Amino acid sequence: MAAQPKPLPLEPRNYLKGGGLIGWLTTVDHKRVAVLYGVTALFLLGIGGLEALVMRLQLWEPNNHLISAHFYNEMFTMHGTTMIFLVLMPLELGFFTNFVMPLQIGARDVAFPRLNALSFWIFLVGAVLMHLSWIWGGFPNRGWFGYANLTESYYSPGLNIDFWDISLLILGVSTLLTAINFFVTMVMMRAKGMSYMRMTLFCWAMLVTVILVLLAFPALTVGLLFLLLDRFFGTHFYIAAYGATPILWQHLFWLFGHPEVYILALPSFGIISEIVPVFSRKPLFGYPMMVYSIILIGFLSYGVWGHHMFATGMGPVADSAFAITSMLIAIPTGIKIFSWIATVWGGSLRMKTAFYFALAMIVEFTIGGLSGIMHASAPVDLQQTDSYFVVAHFHYVLFGGVMFALLGAIYYWWPKVTGKMLSEKLGKWQFWLTIIGFNGTFFPMHWLGTWGMPRRVYTYGAGLGWTGLNQFETVCAFILGFSFLLMYINLVLSTARGEDAPADPWDGRTLEWAVSSPPPEYNFANPVEVEGRDAYWLMKYGRGGAREAQMFAEGKIPPVPQNMQAPPEKPIHVPTPSIFPLLIAGCLFMVAIGLLIGWWRIMEIGGGTMFICIVGMCLEYPKWGEKSHNLDEEAPHSLGIDLRKAGLWTFLGSECVFFASLIATYVVYKSRNFGGPGASILEIPLTSGSTFALLMSSLMMVLALHSIEQGRVKWMRFWLVCTMALGCVFLGVEAFEFLGFFQKGLAMQTDLFGQCFYTLVGTHGVHVTIGVIWLGSILASSFRKNFGKSKALSVEMVGLYWHFVDIVWVVIFTLVYLMQQVKGA
Amino acid sequence: MSEITQVIETGPFEEHPAHPGAGAYVIVAVALCILTALEVTVAYLPALRPVMIPVLIILAIAKFALIAMFFMHLHYDSRLLSTFFLGGLLAAFVLFIALLFLFVYLDRHRAIIM
Repeated sequence: MAAQPKPLPLEPRNYLKGGGLIGWLTTVDHKRVAVLYGVTALFLLGIGGLEALVMRLQLWEPNNHLISAHFYNEMFTMHGTTMIFLVLMPLELGFFTNFVMPLQIGARDVAFPRLNALSFWIFLVGAVLMHLSWIWGGFPNRGWFGYANLTESYYSPGLNIDFWDISLLILGVSTLLTAINFFVTMVMMRAKGMSYMRMTLFCWAMLVTVILVLLAFPALTVGLLFLLLDRFFGTHFYIAAYGATPILWQHLFWLFGHPEVYILALPSFGIISEIVPVFSRKPLFGYPMMVYSIILIGFLSYGVWGHHMFATGMGPVADSAFAITSMLIAIPTGIKIFSWIATVWGGSLRMKTAFYFALAMIVEFTIGGLSGIMHASAPVDLQQTDSYFVVAHFHYVLFGGVMFALLGAIYYWWPKVTGKMLSEKLGKWQFWLTIIGFNGTFFPMHWLGTWGMPRRVYTYGAGLGWTGLNQFETVCAFILGFSFLLMYINLVLSTARGEDAPADPWDGRTLEWAVSSPPPEYNFANPVEVEGRDAYWLMKYGRGGAREAQMFAEGKIPPVPQNMQAPPEKPIHVPTPSIFPLLIAGCLFMVAIGLLIGWWRIMEIGGGTMFICIVGMCLEYPKWGEKSHNLDEEAPHSLGIDLRKAGLWTFLGSECVFFASLIATYVVYKSRNFGGPGASILEIPLTSGSTFALLMSSLMMVLALHSIEQGRVKWMRFWLVCTMALGCVFLGVEAFEFLGFFQKGLAMQTDLFGQCFYTLVGTHGVHVTIGVIWLGSILASSFRKNFGKSKALSVEMVGLYWHFVDIVWVVIFTLVYLMQQVKGA
Repeated sequence: MSEITQVIETGPFEEHPAHPGAGAYVIVAVALCILTALEVTVAYLPALRPVMIPVLIILAIAKFALIAMFFMHLHYDSRLLSTFFLGGLLAAFVLFIALLFLFVYLDRHRAIIM
């Protein structure tokens, strides 16, 4: 299965050429994966935009019945879900970060190229599934926030919410894989000399963004898991009649949802921080403060979710705390605005389309920010909640702040991506139409909201005074739609027959402009070494500014320095294409669709094939399980740590948040549990025995690692078998315990305790099962030739996972089993 | 010009940064067993009821730390890995406390007021 080296043409080949359709389907090149994301997200942007126009047509006049109320609900749900999960995030993370970040840090690819491709294909599965629900009865229709308990089976009996739930879970997996990948890439694979404080602002923004993804998405995953259990297994996580509370969903959702706002906004801050200095011909003003403010925004964004929930009655203490943190976050955001203005101030401005959009973003985002501060005040927010004022606010943030930055990024980086310049004339037309259309559509919503027009409303009565502004907004929305049509025309025409782009069309400051447009397959012919911030600027002009002044006076952009054009000095390692990411995603689609429509055979075939493909993907790595010897070259900041090990630790950090959400729910609901057998049913002596088995399995695991580090393969196999056996004992006792509880009348549906207990302990059991399977695959592969000391990394990786599962059990055993001895705990 | 190949090359295995020997692992495992036995004992001793929760939490933290530091090698490996893990752990702890505060404490607080 091991892939053999395939010689490529000796001349540098641009990444877009060669391979045909198969080349694109099996690609693991970060640039091609980025293009796949970009094309998909731009297509979905068109769909999301059309959904918005349908809504605007419905609101054209009072008592309008152009579409049904049900279809209107579907439209606003799909518009929100599509724009956030299928357009903005994939454009920011999947397209621009994927393409630009490795180039900006001087890397040849991301840390895990095949994982990157897998992320894309999984994302595509999620996007397709989200829209496929239409075939089985209709689109999801409970809003992008999916508030409980409207999403419960009683209120939403169709399959549409099932599709929504499972699609979001799948999209979450894709995003999490991307975040782990980018995190390890940025921490470890920066070029020599690129300290953190020499990294571009875009990369800084993305570093904080992926940390937010890692820490925020698990809460959403848990919320969606509870909804899945409610809908598929009859639990009652969000149903008040059973003692639960729908507010739990709001907490879990907004624990993800507000960091999500910054997951969307921070990349746009990074984009603006790239465009503004380039077109002002000045270094970014206050770089360190910009970095610190990004970090502070990321930190604070994790503690402001409650301002979405003032109307739920959290009480004055919680309201005050969330109001303070929400107001505080305006400070670092304000620093960024002032820093951009100071960068533009006194600069030699070049008024290109990208710069237009960047300047517009600063203005529009500031308007959105100002109305955002109003929401931080609980009494004011209570007046604005669920009104069109909120719609105006978040569109000024997400369109004015994020989409404007993305439009700027398209005009800025498109020449690098495709090697073709976009038409400035069409670009300027698009810009002005966007400005008119956007402000005309969304600014009047401030008034409509203040006058009392509720959001998500299907239609409104005549005589309320809302008609004129609604009609004005609808006209402007179509102008906005037309501006995007111009963009699509520009992208297609310019890419087909536009002017060829030079390597450095904007006199750029960062490393992506040091390579040809489009870049070669391997990015950089030789390892890059940087000497300061604005690395490429220093390469072109050096320090002191004399050459810069001379070139500027002559109106020239200096050519790419010779050392960046030199031929490769050593063999270049380009990741091998792989079909497995596509196959795994295809199998995932079969599993999901089988589960959704109850086609179990398809689910079984898909699940089985997916397992085989995952094993195949692991084994296809040419030197699977060995440490990379050229880490110093590939990852100068790795400190000798293998990238895969760093990736696993990052994943485990994210898993902590996942289990914390589950455990917190258990503790909260246990205190609300009335009736039923409750926690007194738990048998500590039995579980103490299984706990002992699991602890001892950790000892066996670490002895297996010790053995392989000594080169003793047979001993390693012995200890691995012992670890698996003890893992199976643990699972057996758990199954026995569950069976006993069923017989005593405690099922998942019995009470709050039952559903939380089975979910928490069962999820841990699933992790143990995965660990046993992983151990089994290592054991099986140890019978292959050449399995020896050099494969210790494989054993170490499974060991880390196994020990993590063990320490999670340490917490569960204490909280769930032992503490039930204390009455009322 | 050099040849370009489609492969990630790997080379000879590098020795691990000083992991402990089997003896140290066994000592840690014995400590884990003793701590677990202590936990179960504490849970069944009525005299310790008033301090049971803090004692159980301390014992669980000790077990958690022993496994993370010695079995998962955080004590020996680069601090960078500890940072990755502890960052997630800290966020998890904050989330746990925040949810507990928002539901349990505030519920009781409201009940008292009403």
